[in-house]
Amino acid sequence: MTTKGDPRDCVMIERNFAAPIGLLWEMWTDPEHFKAWYGPQGASIPVARFDLRVGGERFVGMEMTTPNGAMRMWFTGEHVEVTEPRRLAYTEAMSDENGNVRSGASMGMPEGHPTNTEVRVELDESDGRTHMRLTHEGIPRDSPGAMGWNMAFDKLAEYVKQQS
Amino acid sequence: MTATLDEQALSATFAALANSTRREILARLAQGSATVNELAEPFEMTLPAISKHIKVLERAGLVRRGQHAQFRPCTIEPQRLREVSTWAEQYRFVWESRFDQLDTYLTQLRSPRGTKGQR
Repeated sequence: MTTKGDPRDCVMIERNFAAPIGLLWEMWTDPEHFKAWYGPQGASIPVARFDLRVGGERFVGMEMTTPNGAMRMWFTGEHVEVTEPRRLAYTEAMSDENGNVRSGASMGMPEGHPTNTEVRVELDESDGRTHMRLTHEGIPRDSPGAMGWNMAFDKLAEYVKQQS
Repeated sequence: MTATLDEQALSATFAALANSTRREILARLAQGSATVNELAEPFEMTLPAISKHIKVLERAGLVRRGQHAQFRPCTIEPQRLREVSTWAEQYRFVWESRFDQLDTYLTQLRSPRGTKGQR
């Protein structure tokens, strides 16, 4: 389903941080640090559990405040690579609160939302600064986006498709 | 320079979309142009409240208002939506804002005063 190399199917972001590589590694792997930054605007991370071994599970809960009250979303996955302090890779899927994977469609997402994606973090230090490259892939081509704010969006996505 | 402007425009668009009333308005407009009165019908909201939502959509480049003085029907602007409608673009936006927060958090941790107590 996924076409590697097509920029529309994959998010790649590079950033530099004024911190040593060990600290950046902790940001990703220490649940307390992770909770402090990972929530997108308006969201908090009440739960983060990482079994930091290849094949080890991870589980993240996100809570968002919406005009209709608090909304919780759960994400589960498995570590694919754990090479401290340089590389971390894991799969990510939406799940219920017990970590059972749910398809995007069953969570109210528009058709085509990926059920499973892969996140890869690559870190590299020079002169006390750390370069980070994030890759998030596994995205079906032209799938309509769906990130919480987007749930009532299927009709719109259809419309956009017709227009392109 | 241009990149910054684009990013600001993108933020405005996502902020506009982060609201269920505005998404419903857009979904309605995807079926055809409508006046503010028509758009307000399904909502238990005053006209000024709906107008405010429409202004946000307009500023975000998602909706255009017609020139017919009295009715000024609203029309959806597909271009802007297309730019933000792919899964990848939405995730990019989320990751970028996360990393802004990570940057801030790292600065706090490393400031001479320290914030170790916050852990």
